This record gives sequence, structure tokens and C-alpha cells, in this order.
Amino acid sequence: MIRRIRYESMRLVEGPLLLKLQSFLIKRQKKKPDKYPELGPPLKTEERLRKMISMHYLTGRYADGAVPVAWATSGAPVEVLRPLNYHVVYPENHAALCGARHMAMPLLELAESHGYSPDICGYARCDFGTAFGGRTPAGRVPRPDILVACTNICQTVFFWYRELAKHFKVPLVLIDTPFLYGEPLPHQLSYIEAQLRTLADIASDVARRPYDLESLIRSTILGMEGSLLWKQCLEVNKAKPAPWSAFDQFVHMAVIVALRGTEECNSYYRELLDELKDRAKRGIGGIANERHRLLWDNLPVWFKLRSLSGRLASHGFHLMASTYTNAWGETADLLNETDPWRGMAKAYSHIYLNRDLPNKLRVMSNLVKFYECDGVILHSDRSCKPYSLGQISLSEKVSQACGARTMLLEADHIDSRAWAEGPVDTRLQAFMESFK
Amino acid sequence: MGRIEYIQKQQKEHSRKVVGALPVHYPKEIFTALDVVPVEIWGPPGPKAGEGAGLLQTYICPIVRNALSFIRSGKADIVDGLLFPHTCDSMQGLATLVPDWLNYKKPVFRFQHPRGSHRPEALNYLRDEISLLVHSLEKAFGLSMNPARLNEALRLHKEAEGLIRLLFSRRLHFKGPDRELYSLIRQGEFLRVEDHIPLLKKAIAEIADRPVHKAIPVMITGYVPEPMAIFDSLNAAGAIVVADDYAGIGRRIPRPTDNRLDDEGGIDAVIRRYLSLPPCSTKTMNPEVRIPYLLSLIKESGAQGVVIHEVKFCEPELFEIASIRNAFEAVGVPVLFLETELEAELSSRTITMIEAFLEVLRKKTKEGAAS
Repeated sequence: MIRRIRYESMRLVEGPLLLKLQSFLIKRQKKKPDKYPELGPPLKTEERLRKMISMHYLTGRYADGAVPVAWATSGAPVEVLRPLNYHVVYPENHAALCGARHMAMPLLELAESHGYSPDICGYARCDFGTAFGGRTPAGRVPRPDILVACTNICQTVFFWYRELAKHFKVPLVLIDTPFLYGEPLPHQLSYIEAQLRTLADIASDVARRPYDLESLIRSTILGMEGSLLWKQCLEVNKAKPAPWSAFDQFVHMAVIVALRGTEECNSYYRELLDELKDRAKRGIGGIANERHRLLWDNLPVWFKLRSLSGRLASHGFHLMASTYTNAWGETADLLNETDPWRGMAKAYSHIYLNRDLPNKLRVMSNLVKFYECDGVILHSDRSCKPYSLGQISLSEKVSQACGARTMLLEADHIDSRAWAEGPVDTRLQAFMESFK
Repeated sequence: MGRIEYIQKQQKEHSRKVVGALPVHYPKEIFTALDVVPVEIWGPPGPKAGEGAGLLQTYICPIVRNALSFIRSGKADIVDGLLFPHTCDSMQGLATLVPDWLNYKKPVFRFQHPRGSHRPEALNYLRDEISLLVHSLEKAFGLSMNPARLNEALRLHKEAEGLIRLLFSRRLHFKGPDRELYSLIRQGEFLRVEDHIPLLKKAIAEIADRPVHKAIPVMITGYVPEPMAIFDSLNAAGAIVVADDYAGIGRRIPRPTDNRLDDEGGIDAVIRRYLSLPPCSTKTMNPEVRIPYLLSLIKESGAQGVVIHEVKFCEPELFEIASIRNAFEAVGVPVLFLETELEAELSSRTITMIEAFLEVLRKKTKEGAAS
């Protein structure tokens, strides 16, 4: 009961007050000269984004013991958990936050000191470091009551969450989505659908709350609407100049990952969509002088977001679309409120990373054409094998298919030890010069 | 007889189809029943890093990189098709890269076994996947599954597995070095089970009544016993492998306690066999089963130390190293962790680590005897 009061107090009273205080302090801070004046003006919705995500993590500090807590992979069917009032923690989202705030390395090293190899996924290591009590920008991440992993983004989550289950000794529910070589077969969809129903049963037992199909349908509709709004936000970038960069998108996607299936998420993207449309109408770009438009493939390099963005922008290169951010909107229309289980089975198996290379090429080529990109940067991400395997061929094929110039950038989405400033700089320079 | 000669003989003299099987779990009985010969491709060391190797980043596991090089170098052209089981992200990626973009024209089969639970939905799915594999093989090679032949195949594989288990349980009585034992067992990676059984029986006939080795017994776990030189170094340092938990060896032999295998035939028995396999990093979801299994394995075998031998960048395996190491250290069993590429020989550093580990084991044995 005390935990519940504390949680509600943070949600309704302390949290909003703390955020007001934070806004006040931010406004009072002396403005430093802009290191990257070539970047466009910041989005106004950023302030709301900061508050929403801060609130998510602030309430999370007191969630365990107050409400059921789930740790879930970013591709997990969160619609199933929402009706049961779960506070959902996304370790990937949290790890990205740690990376962007330059706080990931001590967590990775803590995991490694517990025997985890530096060759496994950096997100997983960051998460293990957090579980072992490492310092996080979130202050504290609540202990899970249940773990939900869906293999539609990688098989790694299966190995990763198994370790979390050993550590926390809580139920692990795996949604095993067969990899799609072409289109899904009926027995594959039935398998996923049955697992989703199992998830609902187990999550209901853990939450000690009966399952309500009406609520599932409601959260499915909200999830579908949120994903479609996100897609519309991305598609505004067809305008020239594109009103926001892929770097902005990497930050603003936090909401579709962490709050998908809620009205709060959808209301936020409505506001963002209005702002983006307005910027497009007024010719305000994500960078000051857009001469070339680039597509990004793979996860971002979280600890280099701003510098990489500024570096490209200073030469008129606008990285304004990405396969990663696109993935959160591309399957929205497969969700189906009249048959929510089957709809989710379809939507969650058709994820970009769960499909074969010809599909990746198709998606990438479509994005290049749709956004009229003249170049593609493929981030060869040491931490993410499923995204990176095939990129060497993909780079050549997308170039042949669309005439876009391509480059492979060797890095890691979170482990800064894999970042080699000199070689990256040289390759970027050569890539940009090839456009002259 | 070497692999190539054997494959050619199967194709020319017996008109059998041969399928190159990538690691690790697949229903071998189905192939036996259809008279198709699976020849396993464990990223063999040897093929030059050429066009194939350049298509994958260096942080992709060497099993997948070497397998791709092997296929691209034309050395796998002799087989009539390829099978990609659902093992890890890299294998999954290879299963689209090779047929979709590398102009591989022969039939490709995929076996996506369920991950994790043994719930009814997983078993139904497994049944459908096995049926799909049967149907794909039948269609590609113009074959037809005979239920009686499937039951016979199940019986043969069960016999072979029993013989391998016996060889490990009587390891100290089998005269040959570890390399000889593993070479014999690994012939099952390309021999038909009917041809493998006589070789295993011959080895068992040579088992002495009394132990013939005085080496320190150790257990080994990992993905694949490559390079095989690891056994030479272990034996030279005074150790002998008495328990095996390699994904490619021990984890593909069902546990003997499961009597249900005797009661069923057909696809149900194939499923039961799958369920009876020891826990494996690539397919077992339940976090509670692998460590107790490994602890029981070491206890039953009398091994005094554990060698964890992993292939670099093997994610399924690397995730579990910490908990395996902690579990053994908690019960006072020394652990040696070795990480190798698929090189032909061991590095001198690895050899030194093995020697140092054996020193530790010897010291511990002496201390144990003294106390």
C-alpha cells in the first residue's frame, strides 16, 4: 500500500513538480554557443518529450510493489500488457538513454566484470550492468515481476532474457516468432497467436487481474493508431527540406517504444505531426542547408548522435530517414481490432528484422525512392549481428537498384570502444567527397 | 574412407541424395528414414578466406563465416542441397544470404525448431515444422516417407546414441586418446547411421575390463570440438575428457532416462526425442534446467574440472558462460575458459592455459588426497 501511495504521489504530485523545477532550471541555464549551428532549430515538442520520458522513469522508480512491472523487448506485443496495468520497462530504451547520456560504459564494464563477454550485444550488457546495481540516468529501474521477450528483433533477446530470468527469478514469457523467408505460413501464425494467448494468461496470473478482451481491443486500437501517427510523422520528411532529421527521430521514437498502446503516446504524436507539418509548410529543415539527403540503416550510434549529425550537416548532408525508425510504423496496418490475436501475430512477425534479405532490400530501396535520398549510410553495428549480417551485399544491391551512394560505417550502438574516430572521419570524408 | 569419397559413393552407387546440414539441431531420423544422407558443415577450418569471407563482417561467428567461405569456394557443390536449422541470428541470416543472393541453385531446407517452452503450442508447431521438412525433402528429391522406415530410423539412431553414451561412461576403459574417440563419434556427422553403428560397436568391443588411463578426468562444454588439437593438448597435459556437453556432440544425445521413447513411433517419437535432448543454449528457454544438468553430468562422470571451450562471437554460448562458471566455482570445481577461432591448430597461449589448468587440478587432487 505504501509503495502504491508513493507511486501515485510521484505520478500525480511529485513528478509534475520535479519536472516543473527541472524546466525552470533549464531555462535559467546560460545558453552555450551552439556547437553545430548547421543543425535546424530544435523541435518545440522536445520539451514535452523530455517530460514524458522523465515521468516514465520517475514513476518507474516506485513502480515495483505498487503495480505489476514487466521488462519487455522493444518488439514485444505490449498491447497484451497494457490492459493489466503493467508498468513496462524497455531495457533497450533504457540502454539507449544510457548511451545517449554517455553513461553506458560503466554499466557495460560492470557486466563484463561479472563474466559477460564484450562480444555479446551492448544493450544486453548495459542491462546486466543495471541489474547488478550500476548507476543509471533513470535513477532506479524497477525490479520486474515478469519478463517478456519477443524474438522478432533478434534471437539475442532469447539468450539475454534467459539470463535476466536467472538473475531475477521471475517468469519469462518468450514469444518465438519464426523468421520469415518470404511470407508467413499458417502454422507459424497459429504458433505466434497461441503464444500471445499464453502471454495473456501468465501476465494475468502475475498481475492477479482477470484478462479483459475489450481492454485488449482498446489497447490494440491505440497501438495501431500510435504506429500510424508515427509513420505519418516520418513521412512528412518527403518535403524538401525535410523538417526533421533521423537523429531527431531516434530521440522521438522513445515514445512509440516505451508508451505504445496509450492515449498519451498518440496525443504526443498528434502534436509532433502538427509541428512537423507546420515546419514543412514554412520550409524549416532539420538542418540549415540541405543539399544531400541520406538514409541510415541499423541502430544509431547513441553516444555520437549529435556530433555525427553536426558533422554531416556542416557539409549539407541531411540524414533524414532510417530503416530503424521506419520499422516502428511499417506493420501498423496489420493490427486488427476485429481479430486482435491474429492481427498481432501478423504485425509482430512482419517486423523488418524478422524478414529475409530481399525484403530488407525492398524496404531500403522504397525508402530511398520515397524520400529521394542520394546516399545511404549502413551502420555495421558490432553489437547487432542480425541487423548487420548481409549489409555488405545490401550496400552493393541498394546502390545498383537506386543509384544511391553507399558507405559502411563500422561502429557499435552503445560500446564506445568500438568507435575509431580517425578511420570513421576518413571514411565519412571520402563518402561526402564522392558527391562532388 | 574420407567424406568426399563417401558422399560420392552414396550418390553414385546407391543413388542417394546428400544434404549439407548446418549446425546444430535437426531431426536426423527424418533424413535416415527418407534415405537422404545429411553431411554436416561445421564451418570447417581450411577453405581460403576469399569472396565468401568478405561478405560477412569479422564479428560474425567463424562457424558462419567459414561455412559461407566453404560454400562459396565450391567445396560444398558435391551435396544436393543445404539445410539451415534455426540456431542463432547469424545462421538465420546465412539461410537467406546463400539462397537469395549468392546464386545457390540447389534446394534449400530450413528447420525452425521452437525456442523455449514445451507448451502444447510449441509441440504442435514442432510437429508442423517436421512435417514441412518431410514434405520439402519429398518434393525436392521425389521421395516418399514410409512410416515403418521412420520407426526403423528411430531405432537405429537410438542404438547409435546409446553406444556413444556407453563410450563416454566407460571412457577410462577405452584405450585411445580423446582425438580418436571424438573422430569416431564425429564420423556420425557424415556417415549414415547404419554405417556408423558398426564402427561404434567395434570400439566398444575393444573396451578393457579395467581402466587403462590414469589421467585427470575433465568435462568439456562448448559449441563444436574444433580445433581437435584441443584434445591433444589436454591429453598431453595429463587430462582426459570423460563428459561431453558440446552442442555438436553431447547435447544431441537424448537423456537415457526417458522411457517414453520406447512407447511411440512416427513423428511423435521424433518430437519426444527432441524433447529429451539435454538443455542447449540455442534452444532451451527454462533458465532452471541447464545448470542442474551440467552439475549432474560432472557428478556422474567423476570429472574434476570443467573446460569451457567456445568459438569466438558465438552469442548463444557466450551469454551462458558467466552462470556456468559461477555454478561450478560455487561447488569448488575448477573451470578453464578457452575461446578459439576455427583455426587448424591451437595457439601457444591456449596450450599454456591448458597446462596451467592441469597444474591447478593436480594440486587440488593432491590436497584432496592429503585431507
